[in-house]
Amino acid sequence: MDGFLSTPVGILAITVAQTLALLVPVLIAVAYLTLAERKVLAAMQMRKGPNVVGPFGLLQPFADAGKMLMKETIIPSGSSRLLFIMAPMLTFLLAMIAWAVIPVQDGWAIADINVGILYLFAISSLGVYGIIIAGWASNSKYAFLGALRSAAQMVSYEVSMGFVIVTVILCVGSQNLSDIVRAQENVWFFIPLFPMFIIFFVSTLAETNRAPFDLPEGESELVAGFFVEYSSMSFALFFLGEYANMILMSALTTILFLGGWHPPIHAEPFTWIPGFVWFALKICLCLFVFIWVRATFPRYRYDQLMRLGWKVFLPFSLLWLVITAAVLKLTGWLPA
Amino acid sequence: MNWTLALPEIALACAGLVILLVGVIPGRNTFFGCTMAVIGALLLAAVLVLGQPEGTALGGLYVADAFSGFMKILALLGAALGLVLALDFNRRESLDRFEFPVLALFATTGMMVMVSANDLMAVYMGLELLSLPLYVIAAFDRDNGRSAEAGLKYFVLGALASGLLLYGVSLVYGFAGTTNFDRLADVFSGNGGVPAGVVVGLVFVVAGLIFKVSAVPFHMWTPDVYEGAPTPVTAFFAAAPKVAAVALLARVLLGPFGDLAAQWQQVIILASLGSMLLGAFAAVGQRNIKRLMAYSSIGHVGYALMGLAVVSDEGLRGLAIYMLIYMLMNIGTFAILVGMRRRGRAVERIEDLAGLGGTDLGRALWMTVFMFSMAGIPPLAGFFGKLYVFLAAVQGGFWTLAVVGVLTSVVSAYYYLRIVKVMFFDEAPAEGGLDATTPGLAAVTATTGIFNLVFCLYPAPLLLAAGLAAAALLG
Amino acid sequence: MITAAAFYIFAFVLIAAATMVVTSRNPVHSVLFLILAFFNAAALMLIAGAEFLAMILVIVYVGAVAVLFLFVVMMLDIDFARLREGFQRYLPIGGVVGLILLLELALVIGTWTTATEASDLRLAPNPGGGVSNTKALGQILYTDYVYLFQIAGLVLLVAMIGAIVLTHRRRPGTKRQDVAAQIARSGSVNLEQVPTGVGIGELGIRRPTLPEAPKPKQVEHADHHGGHH
Repeated sequence: MDGFLSTPVGILAITVAQTLALLVPVLIAVAYLTLAERKVLAAMQMRKGPNVVGPFGLLQPFADAGKMLMKETIIPSGSSRLLFIMAPMLTFLLAMIAWAVIPVQDGWAIADINVGILYLFAISSLGVYGIIIAGWASNSKYAFLGALRSAAQMVSYEVSMGFVIVTVILCVGSQNLSDIVRAQENVWFFIPLFPMFIIFFVSTLAETNRAPFDLPEGESELVAGFFVEYSSMSFALFFLGEYANMILMSALTTILFLGGWHPPIHAEPFTWIPGFVWFALKICLCLFVFIWVRATFPRYRYDQLMRLGWKVFLPFSLLWLVITAAVLKLTGWLPA
Repeated sequence: MNWTLALPEIALACAGLVILLVGVIPGRNTFFGCTMAVIGALLLAAVLVLGQPEGTALGGLYVADAFSGFMKILALLGAALGLVLALDFNRRESLDRFEFPVLALFATTGMMVMVSANDLMAVYMGLELLSLPLYVIAAFDRDNGRSAEAGLKYFVLGALASGLLLYGVSLVYGFAGTTNFDRLADVFSGNGGVPAGVVVGLVFVVAGLIFKVSAVPFHMWTPDVYEGAPTPVTAFFAAAPKVAAVALLARVLLGPFGDLAAQWQQVIILASLGSMLLGAFAAVGQRNIKRLMAYSSIGHVGYALMGLAVVSDEGLRGLAIYMLIYMLMNIGTFAILVGMRRRGRAVERIEDLAGLGGTDLGRALWMTVFMFSMAGIPPLAGFFGKLYVFLAAVQGGFWTLAVVGVLTSVVSAYYYLRIVKVMFFDEAPAEGGLDATTPGLAAVTATTGIFNLVFCLYPAPLLLAAGLAAAALLG
Repeated sequence: MITAAAFYIFAFVLIAAATMVVTSRNPVHSVLFLILAFFNAAALMLIAGAEFLAMILVIVYVGAVAVLFLFVVMMLDIDFARLREGFQRYLPIGGVVGLILLLELALVIGTWTTATEASDLRLAPNPGGGVSNTKALGQILYTDYVYLFQIAGLVLLVAMIGAIVLTHRRRPGTKRQDVAAQIARSGSVNLEQVPTGVGIGELGIRRPTLPEAPKPKQVEHADHHGGHH
């Protein structure tokens, strides 16, 4: 058996198994996130939410998926056919491959690479292509406007996200995600870097095009923005990609600021629970805030969104980066 | 690291950042204050340059010697005077935004980086830091189609020249294995030929730099840009950046490629001949005085390059002194051109000067001084500038250069003297003479004019400084 | 073996994509192929062990620069017919210049000699001694070449000033939002607990009583369905 596992085929088999072990739960989580969102929103708006399909509406996501699959795929005339089909695949693919470097517990990452955080950042910065290609390939004004808005928004908020990530890297001295989590064994970074935590979280809202920054897909003005022309499975792929991105961003927030797999206190009752459960719980917390924000805040106007990104977050994160660097240098805490 | 050696550049750049910050904050117009602050910063940098010790610093990227000191003082002086010219003009044409002096300051920082470059990478970075602000200020009058065209043309062709330069640099690096000037000189000083790649690279580097000094055959952007840009911007272009670019060309060719003189000499000779001829003949038919000044500057660069082409101490000294005199003549002339207004509107045709001798004798006389000096009529400074390069050419046995130089001087005297003729012998147009000039412009005119007049009386200190600069480079 | 296969795949796609950048008829497709080329170049860097550079290439060029590029190309209405108009006319002179450059290049490559230590340096991007290549790059950028790095910063600053100077206009008559003043305003919005299960018929529209605001007319109430609360 050992012999087989060390052959190329064996290594491949292990990798495939690991990937499935990670991606299947992620996909199920995506399905139930859609349900959770509807349920939580309903509760906040004093409604009941989906409760017909299955007990408490638990089978609703599968009913939705089935409906999507049954529908006809419509490719608009005058569209760029190949790109039109590729765009949702790209979005979904990017949301999936990013998980390769996420450490769900100490040592539990498919690829524990040196520059993990940069890899995640790179993948998330590619996400914009799915949207912009979809908008352009649709050959529709609304879709194109939505795509432009969304691309501008994502590029803008990536800048301050980058600075936040640099600040965290500065405190850790490594770009490896596991190292980042290990560095938070005693103090989770959201305490010393609280303002950066807020900036990062708000930026992830913008990066995933979620409320209150969901104006690229504003139903009332752009009739759903860049994916207005999509139907059936291609629409479902966008949908899945968006929710998978939400989970991914929550995972990133957890790794950077909420101590990853660490329990809040390294003491008896908390240490009974395995690390990946803590990790999942923290992701759920972040996702709940995502939904909570959606239920609470009205949508930003485009200029307000740009102003917040460029005139508030960018200078502030830059300043905080300099302050952090100065403090680390002066106190001698700077990791070698 | 020894970064203190680069104190003038560091101080200038920091001053630029502070002025930018201060200029943007208040709600009212800070153009005047910022310009004054920038002029102050330039003069401060000049003082720092004077007190600068010699040596290399910053990991061999930066060198300070007598040559860099001389050229930096020239560039700083030219930039400061150029900004004085802009003060009144920009206010009247509503170009009085504080970014103008700040951009000029960063361009000047770029010039200093270029002049002090001791590495091909530093050359490129300095050149970009010089060029980018110049593209912007050429288009500074953005609602004027010609100004926008000038900026765009300059930008596109400048980017092409940068591309040529970079291509050449990469070839040189690929074949020599280093970009540092001292080590390049070591590599090339060995006996045995150099690879063809280096020679091709060298030609591309020279082409890129010749573009920046606007010598033939890469001169074609000059007339359009000079004509289209706002007049003080043209004055700025014609003075400081040209000094820095010529200095850079001299440093690159005589420093690392000093032992390859045989390879680049004929290129420079051809550029010099072509520039002199074009400057003399193409300017004859011009009606717009800024265009005329563009061709004139091409011609002057031709004379200056003659000093480089002969590759000798005298030649280089002639080049240094030529750039000094050229810059002051140009600033003086432009001080008069910037003040050319009729009933508040800026005019720029040669005929607009008609009758100036009758309406404003002082200004007409100063203009005459500058035109005579440009034509190289003794005993004005311009004559000496030409004298030293011609002498060097004759001593080095470059008779063709010297003869063509003298002949083109005679041809160019025609159009310089025509301006004098228009001022004194043509009738003033019916709508009246030119408006009175401003004290700032008058002061610049008078200062540079007096320099042109009295240079012949006591040239020794400047000659000595130029000689030291030349010796530092040829060492 | 796998590395070699990966190298050839990425290299092939890179060259094919680069060719398509030039030959593709639609400029948007050209940019997309350019992005593909960047991506493959990043993969090649990964294979060479330059992981930091690879990621930065993706983040900066693919994630930011190419997006803006794509923006411009998508929004410009490029007329292909007019773009190709001068092609025939300038072909001879362009061809001659290209040929000369090609000959020069051939001349240059003819004298190419490889340094003896080149094969050792290949695929060894780290300076050794356990220094990660992020650290090695940082050493070069921020210590050895800090002078050039700072000048590059100034160049970018100048580009920014230039863009603002040449395009920014303060238009008269635009109404600007004072965010600070808006946020500082308080007392205009209240949260109220309303009994559930009661219709609007019994409850009516509940609004905070503003002292200076005139009372809304009853007629208008009928149109609003309390959606604002």
